[in-house]
Amino acid sequence: MVLRPDLREITRYLGYHGVTPDENMMSEIEQCIGELENVITPRFVYDRFDLLQKEEDGRSILSFGGLETESRDLARNLKGCTGVYIMAVTLGPGPDRLVRRASVGKMSRAIIFQAAAAAMTEAWCDEINERIRAEAAKEGFCTRPRFSPGYGDLPLSMQKQISMILNMPKEIGVSLTESYLMTPSKSVTALIGILPGAINSDLGSPKSVEEMIANQKPEDEIAANQNPANSEAGKCANCAAAENCPYADKDDH
Amino acid sequence: MKKDLRERLGKEWLVFDGGTGSILQSKGLKGGELPETWNLKRPEDIIDLHCGYLRAGCDIFNTNTFGANSLKFPDNLEEIVTAAVENAKEARRRAGREDAYVALDLGPTGKLLEPLGDLPFERAVELFGEVVRYGSRAGADLVLIETMSDSYEAKAAVLAAKENCDLPVCITVTFDEKGKLLTGGSVDSTVALLEGLRVDALGVNCGLGPEQMIPIVKRLTEVCSVPVIVNPNAGLPRTEGGRTVYNVGPEEFAGWMEKIAEMGVQAVGGCCGTTPEHIRLTAERVRKIPFKAQTRKNRTVVSSFSQCVEIGPRPVIIGERINPTGKKKFKQALRDGDIEYILREGLRQEDSGAHILDVNVGLPEIDEPAMMTDVVQKLQSVLALPLQIDTTDAEALERGMRIYNGKPMVNSVGGKKESIETVFPLVRKYGGVLVALVLDEDGIPSDAEGRIRIAKRIYEAADRYGVPREDIVIDGLAMTISSDNKSAVVTLETLRRVRDELHGHTILGVSNISFGLPRRALINSHFLTMALQNGLSAAIMNPGNEEMMESYRAYLALAGLDPQCMGFIEAYAGTQDRVPAAKAAGGTTGASDGTAGSAAAGGTGAGAEGASPGRTGEGAGRASAASSSAMGLTESVVRGMAQSAAEAARKALAHTAALDLINGELIPALDQVGKGFEKGTVFLPQLLMSAEAAKAAFEVVKESLQGQSQEVKGKIILATVKGDIHDIGKNIVKVMLENYGYDVIDLGKDVAPEVIVEAAIRENIALVGLSALMTTTVVSMEETIRLLHEKKPDTKVVVGGAVMTQEYADAIHADCYAKDAMATVHFAEKVFGG
Repeated sequence: MVLRPDLREITRYLGYHGVTPDENMMSEIEQCIGELENVITPRFVYDRFDLLQKEEDGRSILSFGGLETESRDLARNLKGCTGVYIMAVTLGPGPDRLVRRASVGKMSRAIIFQAAAAAMTEAWCDEINERIRAEAAKEGFCTRPRFSPGYGDLPLSMQKQISMILNMPKEIGVSLTESYLMTPSKSVTALIGILPGAINSDLGSPKSVEEMIANQKPEDEIAANQNPANSEAGKCANCAAAENCPYADKDDH
Repeated sequence: MKKDLRERLGKEWLVFDGGTGSILQSKGLKGGELPETWNLKRPEDIIDLHCGYLRAGCDIFNTNTFGANSLKFPDNLEEIVTAAVENAKEARRRAGREDAYVALDLGPTGKLLEPLGDLPFERAVELFGEVVRYGSRAGADLVLIETMSDSYEAKAAVLAAKENCDLPVCITVTFDEKGKLLTGGSVDSTVALLEGLRVDALGVNCGLGPEQMIPIVKRLTEVCSVPVIVNPNAGLPRTEGGRTVYNVGPEEFAGWMEKIAEMGVQAVGGCCGTTPEHIRLTAERVRKIPFKAQTRKNRTVVSSFSQCVEIGPRPVIIGERINPTGKKKFKQALRDGDIEYILREGLRQEDSGAHILDVNVGLPEIDEPAMMTDVVQKLQSVLALPLQIDTTDAEALERGMRIYNGKPMVNSVGGKKESIETVFPLVRKYGGVLVALVLDEDGIPSDAEGRIRIAKRIYEAADRYGVPREDIVIDGLAMTISSDNKSAVVTLETLRRVRDELHGHTILGVSNISFGLPRRALINSHFLTMALQNGLSAAIMNPGNEEMMESYRAYLALAGLDPQCMGFIEAYAGTQDRVPAAKAAGGTTGASDGTAGSAAAGGTGAGAEGASPGRTGEGAGRASAASSSAMGLTESVVRGMAQSAAEAARKALAHTAALDLINGELIPALDQVGKGFEKGTVFLPQLLMSAEAAKAAFEVVKESLQGQSQEVKGKIILATVKGDIHDIGKNIVKVMLENYGYDVIDLGKDVAPEVIVEAAIRENIALVGLSALMTTTVVSMEETIRLLHEKKPDTKVVVGGAVMTQEYADAIHADCYAKDAMATVHFAEKVFGG
């Protein structure tokens, strides 16, 4: 499987804000991508559910797939939707192992693996997202930008229900820690709302929203260390979770 | 009286039952509802499900306990498991099938084991153990562990079954279409592990349909010595109107199962999507095919979580460097608990071409069992090579074998009664390929005849303990020729006779042969060739020793064991034979001989640099490098070139005092890079590369200081807080702090507050650095700080991590918020007054 990660995203995760790294660094990055390609085992699972939304005493309640959750930000993301896809993807345990291995004495390589694997996870997400979009389009639905637990006010603890609904441990080998983090770490869960109609885009072009969401993936440490939202703040305007974004205006460089 | 299952398993066709989920769904099980609750809520439906399969003709059927463990049922696990077994027994009565066997079904916990996830191995053993105790007490006839997709969890389940009941234990695992477990195991590595654990039968279930399973079944029948079970899904799943359906009907399924049965498996059944009709047709057809028992394969194999190494077809290299004997630095690392040093030694050997790594961490003053456990766990989390557990401490041996994710090599047993009685039961229980030393109460026999006699005795012991003979490799014992010049001849004869008369495999600690002689590599490499020629199967040696590796690779090429000489060409294409001695006057002793070589190098270096003896090492370095492109120390560090930094440091030491080099060059170079990072002209990967280059130089400098006391600026604890498993940020900070001369105690990730506080008190720590990446784990950070302030008020705390901000840090009463690694270094300088 070829998962072509976005090189600019990798360099951004590594802290190159708008600067192109020199040739040596680029070839190092390419090498790391090559090594990752040998160890990834991309898997995915998704399913579609009917969606019910209601407002109760100013609270936004959403129910789908037998679960009920309260989230203003998710409600905004799923506004007008009649159904929702729940997806989970992973690159498998290989990248974690490579990072761990490199961490013994060669941290510079460990962070490149980390950044490249994060970007590859995004690429894999995009691919499955696209499959879902195409599948929905065939039935006359359009899709909204994907939204993950931990964004905005959608609690991370929702991972537990998602894991159960999709049977993630068995289907793709992803399990949760006590604190609802996914292992292997190069895994993502997301919700994608669908609504009848052709193209819907009151949230801006899908690509830019996706990039924005990539900026605040919680498991993305390198990006987090580098505080990417600062340099790409313009894109945050479109984000349903912008108000509570952990990366916004953290420091002033 | 019904026949014991063990008397039938592998001797006649046995048929397992089929799917559960889809049948329960058709009876009304809702998505998200736990099927195990039906044992209590809807027992009639469960009994009905079982009766369907019993009437279809299955011999073994599973209790409805796939997901039953105390993580999912903390309150009523015993009740559920007991009811499940009772339901099964009731079904057997109603169907008039008292001949059928009730299998206590164990599925995965749904959690990943450490280090991939957060479930400790022993906790997994406990979780499975509980279910086994309840199920066997209620009257199950066997334990069936199924749908395992992680070899480590499979091992935990098998141990739990064996330790909590005497029932037969069968296990089926789930491979993907490439023949791999989710965590990377292959058919070969999985079979090695499970046969080592002495399961009664093993096989494959779920994940794939019968057609897709055929290549996997083929490999299983080629490598398995125990009966093979095949329980496929009814083809591949697809979703239809929100429901999962499978594409292979009963007729087609039975057709495939006939083919599979003919491949030489011993038990068949179904998994997801199969129905009583699938099983009825399958049973009918398969029972008409002549039954073939499994054959013994007699392969000598060890495994890791993903790799399987076979001993015999071609000689293998066992890396010997993880061993403190005669290594001052290694001993110090063990005393300091510096596991990373050991890991680096492991990675280096893997890179040099070792196939298996020997692990010996024995030192009188340390807790060897604890150290063995820790080192085995950490090594297997970064390397894929199988390990050889090497110890004379029985407890260290057992704990190492137990925690190991695979079938290890075990070093060693001797001919002494006590040794046999200690080691064989462990190998019987955990599996392993055992190194057998041909010595006994009377010492080492001086002739081959005596050694062969002991070898035979050890093989007989293996028979008694139920350890297959192929799991023994005989150590012919290499003794130095400097004290007895016939010793190599005796050793070689022993190898030959083990091969020819006992048809066994052999192993040697090769380098012992040259002890006390000069030019040891010369003797070792020739002896290695001779030993290989006399049948040596495994060489314990230093894979970093070029001469010996040359002999090894040349032997493989010459003995027809290296197809098209590809291995040899890959290793040596573009390299040259050594320059004749005459050309390089005086310098030929090279790097392998410490004293002479370095004296010569020191001499030439001093000559070349005579012109600029000044303090500026950089200038001196450049002057000496006029003829080549070698860089000075500062430039090497700034550009992040580790190798050239080490070389530059070595050269500079010839004329500059160590401390001057550190304070005059290394630290300023690091500062320069650090400032660039803070200004945004140097980026994180470069900062770390410079740090690594500086570290390489520091190591050279430290070597020159050996014996002298070295200044440590201060000890700092680093940890990622409880609940958080992200440790990259923390590791980056660690690299930088070490560079600036701090001694870092790295407690790892997901560390409980009490552990951090306890370490801070024990080591009297002035500064603790905490990392948290998630909003949800900042709570543990706050708790850690509170506890630290309470129990050790003089300790300062610096915090960092993705979600951390100055406000957050203030709110949880941290002493400092560090936005990156350099900021942490600055705070440390402040705390320690650097």
